[in-house]
Formats: sequence, structure tokens, C-alpha cells
Amino acid sequence: MEHNRPHARHLPRILVISSGKGGVNNSTLLHEQIKHLPPALPCMVQIREKHLSARALHALALAISSAKLPKGTLLLINERIDIALSAGLHGVHLPENAMPPDAIRAVSSEMLIGCSVHSPLSARRAEKADADYLLFGPVYDTPSKRPFGNPQGLEKLAELCAATALPVFAVGGITPQNAGPCVEAGAYGIAAISLFMNPETLSATIEQCYRTFCP
Amino acid sequence: MIPSTPFLCVVTDEAFNPVTLAEKALEGGATMIQLRHKSASGSQLLFWALEIVRLCRLHDALSIINDRIDIALASNADGVHLGQLDMPARAARKLLGPSRILGISTSSPAEALQAEEDGANYIGFGHIFPTSSKERNSAPVGAETLAAAARLVTIPIVAIGGIAISSANQMISCGASGIAVISAVSRAENPAEAAACLLEAMRRGEQ
Repeated sequence: MEHNRPHARHLPRILVISSGKGGVNNSTLLHEQIKHLPPALPCMVQIREKHLSARALHALALAISSAKLPKGTLLLINERIDIALSAGLHGVHLPENAMPPDAIRAVSSEMLIGCSVHSPLSARRAEKADADYLLFGPVYDTPSKRPFGNPQGLEKLAELCAATALPVFAVGGITPQNAGPCVEAGAYGIAAISLFMNPETLSATIEQCYRTFCP
Repeated sequence: MIPSTPFLCVVTDEAFNPVTLAEKALEGGATMIQLRHKSASGSQLLFWALEIVRLCRLHDALSIINDRIDIALASNADGVHLGQLDMPARAARKLLGPSRILGISTSSPAEALQAEEDGANYIGFGHIFPTSSKERNSAPVGAETLAAAARLVTIPIVAIGGIAISSANQMISCGASGIAVISAVSRAENPAEAAACLLEAMRRGEQ
């Protein structure tokens, strides 16, 4: 299947996932975060606000997509292709229990589609179903994922990266210090929630992470 | 496109398999099935939606998806039904195009008028009576408010909320084009028969 998805070829290597936390004046923390993205290092930004109604999500997506963002920023939202289309976002990110990528493609062929995967099998399934990138984790220990068991670790990350031709983003307990081993294991990029939660240090943190990819 | 009056919309009940319920409701003559399941995953919803769309086509009924326009588009359903906390109607209409059905839940004549202006094809109006099927913070609107809304808008109004066989005819005489029910069908001993009885009761209200 041929798709005209120019943005899928050179994805940024940093994926900032929103925290679901509030910001000042009833806004979301994401509003603050996007003001502090480094101007010359493009990121992907995933709107993941599970607690919001579709109406509130739609309003947030519109606000973020109409904000002033660094050139090359790619905006994604969890699962809701309808909101992505309506708000003019670049794509959707699919949890493993979401609609499969090919069903999303049938609605809009131009969307950038990422898939959360937890095994080489689901990675191959997502690739076959025409995903653009994969998100794998938790690679390291992270409080939010502790209830689901031990972290997957670098070896499993390497196995997963070997099983697919798609770019893989490592997630879970990532810091600028431990991002390097993820890249050595075959990860294309890194993703995080808490690492990027402080707007004051966001820009510097992203710069530090970028040095992992271009030492 | 909207079924002829009076029509019966059966909304799925989270306590039961929606496909099984849809099958029984359609057997009893339901003219619209609304898939509504707030806690199901996207892949589960898509699976159910595809089945319900197929069943509705077989029975010449309409398939409507609650809230999830993405699922409606992916399953090629006939339309969506949106509440006041779902995507705004105007934005939904742009995504759906002119031919898919857009239903909007309203609970006052002003909201009903607004929904019509925003491009709705039909209005859900309620809840008319007290109901346990959905968590409600507001008081029931009652039949007189339904009649007031029906006088204001030109698109079909579907009455919802606590409607039983005993009150179905009253909704039609108040100006509704149909009713939407959850428990009146899903919790009935024989859902197909309950759907048939609701339709019969509405027809009595037309006379």
C-alpha cells in the first residue's frame, strides 16, 4: 500500500507524552510544556489525557494545534482519529487495545500512526497493519507501571527492535543518562511523561536527550 | 433516511453483549440501534460496531455509534449520537459529511434548537422520566417540556429516559417521532417482544 506521508520518513527522536496533570488557570500542564519546547529541536507531542471528555479533548487539541510550536513539531493524540482530523493534528497513538492501524488508515490514509507494543509478536502485527512507529516499554523501572510487573529491560528492547523495521521509541523510566543504552539496543528514539513534566527544565532536558542521538 | 414515525431506537446496555441485544431488538422491529459502551476498548467497540452495522443492514434499520465518531467512520455505521460532553455538533458534521446521521442529546428546548442549528438530523430529548439506566444529576424534564421542544424544532425528536410500554404512546402524542430505550428492552424477559410492544404502543399514540 502506498501512502503519501512525508512526515513519517524523518520522525523526531523525542516523544513528549502529556501527563494528564493540570496547569495554571484550569489549563493542562501540556499548555505550559509546549511553550518551553526547544525551538530548533523538533519533538513529537502526544496528547494523552485519559480523564477528559471528548469535548474537552477536542478543545485541548484545537488549542495545542493552533499554538505557536517549533517548526517540525508533530502532534498526536491517543486513539481518537476523529479528534485528530477535526483539530488538524498529524496523527494518533494507539494503545494495544485500540482500533488497529489499518482500520484507522481506512478512515484517513495520511495519518501518522504509532502503536504501543509489548512483544515482538505485537510489533510484527502492528507493522503488518501499517503502523508508522512503535512505542515499547517500560524499559526501566517507573512508578506508574509498577502495578503491571517488572520493567521489560534493555534485552527485550533489543529483541523487539530486531523484530521490526519500524522505528521504535523506548519508554518507561527514561532519563538523559540512561537513554544511550536504549539507542545502542536499537531504539530510534525515546519517549517519556515525567522526564518532561517540569516546563522550566524541559528545553534543557530535551537538548540533553538529543545529545544521546548526535554525540 | 431517518426511519418513518414512530420509530424505536434501542440503546445497548453495558451489562449485556450489545450484539446479542441488537439482534433481539431488531427481531422485535427496532428501527435504530445505538451502540453505547463507555468503558469498552477501541478494538472491542470496532468489533461490536461492525457486527451491529451488518445486522442493521439486514433488518433495514439504522446503526448509530455513541460518542465515538472514529468508530462510526471505521465501521461505516449510519451515524453517531453525541451528548453535550462529546465532540461539538458542528465539528462532528464536518467529519461525517452531509449524508451520515448526526443525533444530539438535549434536555431543554434551547439545546434542541441549538442542535438543529448545528446540523443534527434528529434530537434525543430527555430524560423524560426518572431512570436508573444512566447516572443523572438533573431532574427529569417531563412530557410538557418534550411537547414544547417538539413545537420548536423541525427535525425528528426522540424521547428518552424511563419510557415504558405504558408511556410510549404519550411521547408520540407530545410530538416525538420516536423513543429511545435501554432497560425497557435490555432488561425485559423477552427483549424482542418488548421492542414489538413498544412499537405497537407508539402506533396507538399516533391515532
